Amino acid sequence: MDTAFPAVDEFGTLIDVLLAGDHAAALAETQRLIQAGHPAEKIVTAGLETAMRRLDDKCTVESFNLLEIMLVGRAVSAVVHELYPEGVPPENSRGTLIVATLEGDVHDLGKNIVKMVLIGKGYRVVDLGRDCPVATLVAATAREAASGVLISGLISSIVPQVRRVRPALRTHGLGSVWVVAGGAALKQCAAADLDVDYVAENAFDGARYIEARFTGATP
Amino acid sequence: MNGLERMLAAVRFTPGDRPPVAPQLFGHAARWCGIPLRDYVQDGALMADCQLRIQAHYGHDAVFAFMDFGLESEAIGSRLRFYEAQYPEITDYVLPPGADAGQLRLPDPTADGRLPELLRGIARLRSALGDTTLVAGSLLGPMSLATQLYGMEAALFLAADDPGRFEIALDYATACAIRYGQAQIAAGAHLPVVFDPAASPAVVPPAFFRELLLPRLQRLFAALRQAGAVANWLNIAGPTAPILPWYPAAGADIATFDYYVSPEQAAGLLPQTCLLGNLKSLDFLDAHPQRIAAAAHLALAAFRERGGFILSSGCEIPPESAPANIAALIAARDGE
Repeated sequence: MDTAFPAVDEFGTLIDVLLAGDHAAALAETQRLIQAGHPAEKIVTAGLETAMRRLDDKCTVESFNLLEIMLVGRAVSAVVHELYPEGVPPENSRGTLIVATLEGDVHDLGKNIVKMVLIGKGYRVVDLGRDCPVATLVAATAREAASGVLISGLISSIVPQVRRVRPALRTHGLGSVWVVAGGAALKQCAAADLDVDYVAENAFDGARYIEARFTGATP
Repeated sequence: MNGLERMLAAVRFTPGDRPPVAPQLFGHAARWCGIPLRDYVQDGALMADCQLRIQAHYGHDAVFAFMDFGLESEAIGSRLRFYEAQYPEITDYVLPPGADAGQLRLPDPTADGRLPELLRGIARLRSALGDTTLVAGSLLGPMSLATQLYGMEAALFLAADDPGRFEIALDYATACAIRYGQAQIAAGAHLPVVFDPAASPAVVPPAFFRELLLPRLQRLFAALRQAGAVANWLNIAGPTAPILPWYPAAGADIATFDYYVSPEQAAGLLPQTCLLGNLKSLDFLDAHPQRIAAAAHLALAAFRERGGFILSSGCEIPPESAPANIAALIAARDGE
């Protein structure tokens, strides 16, 4: 058996407890896998990413609910923290992304969900928090060499701020950075109305778009 | 027919002179009157005056005494930050994660926080409008108030990790809502709208709604009816199709439905319940009025034969919406 590519079955328990949202069991199983000699990257790709793919398949528009996602998110975060206590190094990630809630919007639950989904899918995520000025977003995008920014917005008054993101990125030579919007208010708008690349129906939809852009597939 | 009669005719599926229209105009009334939202949500008389002025302008069939979703939690002990042009946010929740809600006392509607301000606003609205227009108060439903005690994340984790303790929070929230709802009716509200956004299937699974929230909503609506509510109105936004069939069992006479659910689907799920909706609220910001008119005509047409319909948005019409779009909604009704 090629130990560099262990069968998914070896990660079956981790996948099951992640999907059950059992963070204590996920942490214990991760520690067992580490002790068994599995490298962190493999635990992420065979464990976390597989669990997130299954959750993604399950979470259609009709069945996406915050409670379930948050429980899985808490378990994923516990595993990632165990594997990378200092944060995911860029070389171990599938790419770097920025998440933020823009200045004027203090609701960050949606942002936290999309962050969790992206981390679970193996991306390095820089979280700029809530009430984030557009200038801070642009500076962080340049500093972190991020490929995309994901903006969550719960309230309608944030729409003018979102429309400022693309021109601000362009002004700083970052016109090729993907801009994705989501959240209860923003998802009611068209991408063209917000001047963004994509408006996501939920966190998984946004992550699918990002994956498609990274792989060069048609989003 | 006046506005109240028109609304009640829709609730009872009896003929009316025209379909009722009840745009969910809350903070927009402040903006329309040139008043900072910060003042509107803290002064019941000012809130009532703004509601009266905008109702006199558009002639819609219901006014709303609604301040913000932090009202009840603030009265229980949470701290809020107020903004000039936005609704306030809770900065410090009254309960730390995992704490026992059973330790909290029920807030006094006549004394705690801004609860008395809202009651003053209701009294002023009813005094001015009498029984010509529906005067709607507002309550947070059990799930949403429970989440406002801890914060959404802490509340949802509590629901998963310690369901028994979370049920204590739900029971406490239900008792708060009953007490405040009774006070609103006593102050002059024809009914309090029960807003429970956290009960949406976007937040918790339908089974959670059925097992934990439905029994509490039943208690709440039974108490409101006993207190004299002319009807019970349940307002949950988002993709509510999986839970709509339980609304009659909850005791709801009016069911708000959002743009996620088509008029045909909502009518199929709730054949004998008055439906209110379902224009997309963000369209009121800067969509062309023709788009609002077209959506309104489609909704009206879907219910023309059935009746039992109140034209509105599926969620709040944002404070910064374009007045021309609200006028287009009203005009669509007038064209019927």
